[in-house]
Amino acid sequence: MNNGLKSSVPTDREVILGILNNSADALNKLYKAHFAMVLQFILNNSGDEDDAKDVYQEAIIILYNKVKQGDFELSSKLKTYIYSVCRRIWLKKLTQKSKKTGSITDYEDVFEVEEDVEHHEEKDLQFVKMKSALDHLGEPCKTIIQDFYIHNLSMQDICEKFGYTNTDNAKTQKYKCLQRLKKIFFQH
Amino acid sequence: MPAKVKENIFSTLIIEMRNDLELDAIIEDYLLGKLNAQETEAFESLRRNDATVDHKVVSHKVFLHTMEEYAKQALLKDQLDSIHSEIDVDTLVSKLAPHPSRVVQLWRKHKSAIAVAASFIVLSFVSIYSIQHNSQQADKFVQLSKNVTNAVKTQNNLIRKISSDNLPANKQLNPGNFGGTGFAVSTNGYIATNLHVIKDADSVYIQNSAGESFKVKVVHRDPEYDIAILKIDDNHFKNLSALPYTIKKNSTGVGENVYTWGYPKDDAVLGEGYVSSKSGFIGDTTQYQVAIPLNPGNSGGPLLDNNGNLVGIISGKETSAEGASFAIKSKYILEAMRAIPQDSLGKKLTVNKRSVLSGMKRAKQIEKLQDYVFMIKVYN
Repeated sequence: MNNGLKSSVPTDREVILGILNNSADALNKLYKAHFAMVLQFILNNSGDEDDAKDVYQEAIIILYNKVKQGDFELSSKLKTYIYSVCRRIWLKKLTQKSKKTGSITDYEDVFEVEEDVEHHEEKDLQFVKMKSALDHLGEPCKTIIQDFYIHNLSMQDICEKFGYTNTDNAKTQKYKCLQRLKKIFFQH
Repeated sequence: MPAKVKENIFSTLIIEMRNDLELDAIIEDYLLGKLNAQETEAFESLRRNDATVDHKVVSHKVFLHTMEEYAKQALLKDQLDSIHSEIDVDTLVSKLAPHPSRVVQLWRKHKSAIAVAASFIVLSFVSIYSIQHNSQQADKFVQLSKNVTNAVKTQNNLIRKISSDNLPANKQLNPGNFGGTGFAVSTNGYIATNLHVIKDADSVYIQNSAGESFKVKVVHRDPEYDIAILKIDDNHFKNLSALPYTIKKNSTGVGENVYTWGYPKDDAVLGEGYVSSKSGFIGDTTQYQVAIPLNPGNSGGPLLDNNGNLVGIISGKETSAEGASFAIKSKYILEAMRAIPQDSLGKKLTVNKRSVLSGMKRAKQIEKLQDYVFMIKVYN
């Protein structure tokens, strides 16, 4: 798996076109191409491999959304962009943990990505809220909501999965769950 | 939801508007565009007339939007997690984690900088090398080559071509073709000189400061370091008294004052200077660079420091640079001496351990030294 990580580095154009076309393969190649770089950075700056995974995935998501929104200009190499984003995110996390950020060991060039990271953080706040609301919801509501809104199951599927006698019952249940979820979501 | 039921809900809603659950369902259908035109119109008029309903619609819209975004991100995250699980993280960690050795850490950190620096160094070597005079390389080549023509007086090797014209008339005619300098490395007649001095010789003689000549034979040739060891093979030769100098094992520092005593002409000449670099011609680490004015004939002469340690053998000078002369480091003399097979003839080669020159004035040192430095005469 590790073998060929380097050899299969896709070109930046391939990646961007791939993301725009929802190509799972392009995402796969992109992910594998630069993980080692970020892992090295995090490991050498008082983090572990789990930190690296979190930070790296956040950066990939930021890049992904930016490309999807169509406002990604390929002014720099994707690699440099990813590295810069990861670096920014990790520095913030280190500051939050009130760890020293005096001497960061760098491995790549860096450029300004503050805006992108902040934009992502605002959005992420909503997601965190949603996630915690879902977690507070309890079963079977959480699964019903997730199946319907995230995994796009039909009411028919949900009805069968949860053994409701008819779809109307399932619907009623879903709306009850939704109501509670909204209540939790908007309360926080 | 059957249309009939929906209509019923509508009619009751307008009157009661209390069934939150059903209201939610309608709001969602409305936002997702699932209501028909009539229902939409009815609902919109309800929304206009009832601020509570309107608020609910807005908040549900926000909620649905957030949920949609959240769903996208959750799916993307799942996808990334599954890609991540394909990576062999442990191997990468062991490869990339901070290395206990600082050198490796520095190397990783500055890999690219080091690479750039290295290429600059290589580049500058190449350019320096290419701007050097061809003559230098030719000279170096001459020194190593066997095809030295007798007629050419090579500057670099400092072999003196003895012309019979400038010999004093009262001295015996010296038929030697080339001259150099050599010095005793033991009391029993072993002499060190440069290999290039005697290389093409048919026969080699040495002449001491008193003008006596002795036949010598070459017992060791070291082409790598340009050292030759000769042995006096003459019945007239009587053993020398103890050597006044020692042969230094370690290298000498830059700036050390040194001098040489040699035969660039028929009488010996003193040359003084200092060690100017720890490496010789084109960075040759087996040599020192010394700042001593030298002339053809100095080749093979001893290079001594003020304390009477023999630190090298004069070997040549750079033709294109002033004051850059070279001397082979003394430890290679010791190596050459060790390399001589100690044959059964009994003339054992021993290394002198004590220097008597230490602390003497230069004139006194030369006085002691002169009996141990010989003119080398080469016939071919």
